[in-house]
Amino acid sequence: MWHITKREIYDNLNSLRFALTTVLLLALMVTNAVRHIREHPKRVQTYRDAVTESSARLTAHADGSLYKLAQYGPGNFYKKPSSLHFCANGGESILPDTIKVGDPPVFATDSENRVILQGVWSLSYPDANLQNKNVGPKVSQVDWAFIIGSILSLIALWFTFDAFSGERERGTLRLMLANSIPRHTVLIGKFFGALISISIPFALAALVNLLLISTASTVHLTTEAWGRLGIIFALALLYTSLFVALGLLVSARVQQSAVSLMILLLMWVTLVVFMPSTLASIASSFSPATSFDEFWKQRNPIEEDLWDKYDEWLWSSKVDDKTLRGKSAFFTENAEREERRHEERLRYRSSQVYRARAITSISPATLLQHLIEGFAGTGFERHLQFVENTQRYARQLREFVADTDRADPESPHILGVREGMSKKFITPESVPRFEDTLNLSRDFNTAAMELLLLTLFVLVLLSGAYLAFVRVEV
Amino acid sequence: MLMTLIRRELLDNLMTFRFAAAVFITLLLVVANTVVLLKDYEQRLTAYNTATQESYQKLREERVYSRYAMDLIVHRPPNPLSIFNLGLDKQVGNEIAVYHAFVPTIWDAVKHGADNPFLNLFTSIDIVLVFQGVLSLLALIFAYDALAGERERGTLRLVLTHPIQRGHILLAKYISAMLCLLVPLLISLLLSIILLTTSTTISLHADDFLRIGGIVLTSLLYVSLFYLIGLCISAMTRRTSTALMLCMFVWGVLVLVYPNLILTAVDIVPQPNTQISAYHQIKQMWEELNREKKLFLRNDTVLGPLSRNGEDWGFRLKGGEYSFLRDEDKPSTLLYFYQSGFYAGKIKAESEPHVPLVQNYYGFHNREIVSTVNRTWLVRKPALEAIYVQPANLGQMLLKFSPVGLYDAATEAWAGTDLEGIQDFFSTVQRYRRAVVDYFYDKKIFESRQWFAADEGTADWDALPQFAFHRSDTDINAKRALPDMLLLLTMNVILFTVIMLIFIKSEV
Repeated sequence: MWHITKREIYDNLNSLRFALTTVLLLALMVTNAVRHIREHPKRVQTYRDAVTESSARLTAHADGSLYKLAQYGPGNFYKKPSSLHFCANGGESILPDTIKVGDPPVFATDSENRVILQGVWSLSYPDANLQNKNVGPKVSQVDWAFIIGSILSLIALWFTFDAFSGERERGTLRLMLANSIPRHTVLIGKFFGALISISIPFALAALVNLLLISTASTVHLTTEAWGRLGIIFALALLYTSLFVALGLLVSARVQQSAVSLMILLLMWVTLVVFMPSTLASIASSFSPATSFDEFWKQRNPIEEDLWDKYDEWLWSSKVDDKTLRGKSAFFTENAEREERRHEERLRYRSSQVYRARAITSISPATLLQHLIEGFAGTGFERHLQFVENTQRYARQLREFVADTDRADPESPHILGVREGMSKKFITPESVPRFEDTLNLSRDFNTAAMELLLLTLFVLVLLSGAYLAFVRVEV
Repeated sequence: MLMTLIRRELLDNLMTFRFAAAVFITLLLVVANTVVLLKDYEQRLTAYNTATQESYQKLREERVYSRYAMDLIVHRPPNPLSIFNLGLDKQVGNEIAVYHAFVPTIWDAVKHGADNPFLNLFTSIDIVLVFQGVLSLLALIFAYDALAGERERGTLRLVLTHPIQRGHILLAKYISAMLCLLVPLLISLLLSIILLTTSTTISLHADDFLRIGGIVLTSLLYVSLFYLIGLCISAMTRRTSTALMLCMFVWGVLVLVYPNLILTAVDIVPQPNTQISAYHQIKQMWEELNREKKLFLRNDTVLGPLSRNGEDWGFRLKGGEYSFLRDEDKPSTLLYFYQSGFYAGKIKAESEPHVPLVQNYYGFHNREIVSTVNRTWLVRKPALEAIYVQPANLGQMLLKFSPVGLYDAATEAWAGTDLEGIQDFFSTVQRYRRAVVDYFYDKKIFESRQWFAADEGTADWDALPQFAFHRSDTDINAKRALPDMLLLLTMNVILFTVIMLIFIKSEV
């Protein structure tokens, strides 16, 4: 078997397609690296500036009374850019990278425009990047996901379309099978031969890409990032073997190599180009064309009016316990309601996205796209992780405020109202800070299903190729 | 003789498996996608109709004119031809407010509430995309062995023993292959048009069929170009397997690699910060206007004491109900304006003497606003062009080095979903805004009592000019598509000549 593999590799190495493939992959990978080196420092800088500004805001809010911190909360939250952004762009222009903490809402002002009733902060999740006003042509960025998903799969077909049909045309297949080699050995030899010959230019191009990126002083890759890159490389091999298996399958069944290539290319166009977009359109047409507001109204037909509920306390300027508790409850409920509404909207929209993702998973190209996004720490999954991180931190901060207040025996423990909270000074250093983190094991868990599907695809196609080749007449 | 050759080639092509596969695959993809796209269009149309209705009703609920700021909203209908080439139709906002304090542009438009913006994470599809990928592939598959195959089989030598010009052989091959490629193109288009006409929601005019005709013509040029590329490779190579491999490589590069690679290498993302000085200029003009307003109000003998520190929030009129503020501050689209005012239900008798003065003030102030907007527009328009239109045009131009880019641009122009086609809508909105402002001037609405109070007659919204948008005429579409089509045609002619030269000089 090893003999056949070796023969295949030598055959391929000298061929025109090998040279063209190498040139093509190198060009793509170098462009990708150059772009990343040019863009990434800017992205990181923007993020750092934003985080510094947001951290300064939190410091300003925490420097003084606890009430101010409880009222104004933290600064805005920013999504940490992934250092593996070059692997998958992950819809960067669509997904928002900020979660806003709005100024506390002003409920009422007096005739001189002075605030008399002001609530507390709440989180608001922006839907999608509405700042994107680009009217230029839409193309996909050349990232690893594109290179592997579209180009490498095409190359895999390019290397295998004549694996059997070509040999049959030349008559060498008969010669080979005249020897006492079992057919499955021939098949496996061919499979690995093609896979290795494709991996060589890809590995070379990836190496050049990574060399360029890692030598640039502005981009820093951690050990974890290298681990993730290793996983992505393995994914690329798995995905390529899927198309190698497909190529072998068709090539074994079809007599002429030209016909085999045509069938393969049409299959490729359907699988990689049309299925993802058509299926996504079908999936999005399932979701009703109602706006979220209508959906919300249907879900919550009678929403209790907070103004009526707390009317007796809101307008009194007394500072007794009952009034303060009334105001505090109004503020917290209002903030909670705002936050819940935003969260529901995000969930409503994510469920549509998940549905579309599930349906498009029939296409291996989409599976790969999602997997690479997952491991590169970009894309939709990562966005939701960022949202979760923020929510966890928001809880943490609220607990911190409550705990600090509880620790002060003189405070009446009524949160959200100036008169009801601890008067003790707090220091900005004691306040917990937000850090956006990525979690590899979580990424593995979410990817497990998709990984399994992709492997299953490969196995099915390989056994298909085996059956086809065993039964075929030479 | 030519006819005999064509007949031979045609029969040769028609009886092949690849022809059957070509027809089948194109039909399948086009029909499946038409159904999906039709559904998508219907949804967008429903969303448009609901939104238009809602805006209409909301505007009629308002009783004073100054409230039109919130509710005079016009909507962009989805383009039925976006099924053929989606272009910018789905991407650009489709809801825009008409207001005298800013000039509405494509960048101020927002999306209807019904859309889920996250779904843009998935790529969208249209019929031109199917043709772009599949027909070019089929053209190459028809072409790769046209000359190399005959040379390999030795039939070329046989044919040339007859007294036939070599040019005729080429022409015969070209014509018959194009006829064969026309079959899947036309049948699939026919089916999709039948599907479109059976749908009750989509209404195609006679003009639309002309535009579809333009798209078909462009598709033909595109397919022919790819066939000629394949023929060129076939004429240059000795063996069919090499020709096939090269054809696929060229296809991959032209269709898949080049468009993405070039736009990754050359950054065409808009950079709003480059025009930040224009934004500051606009902001300054508005701040100046605001200062003048405050100065005017403070110095006015009667209104001065009534206005709080130069703010026009109610003028202490008895019966004033609430004040409002409408402002935008978006450095990324250079939008800045600031407009405050108030709304009064029933003005009490004791404040009645002040009313003419307030009316006079609003008449004066709104005129100032309109002239400020005109001045800011002179700054804003070129700055917006520099930020957004120039990179977009650069991207379009770079893409046109590949036939795919030319094809896409030309069909977009025919369908009216290109930037210019979308801009047509926004120019109409800008004209409509001027019409509304003129109407307000004519009827002296800015200085009327109904601008802020509803006690002596309410705003008459039905008399307002109505908004109507018609897509541009077919000849304008044609004019926009023509340069790209001519480029495609020239490429065809040049390639054909090159093939002729190669073929005449080549040994058999």
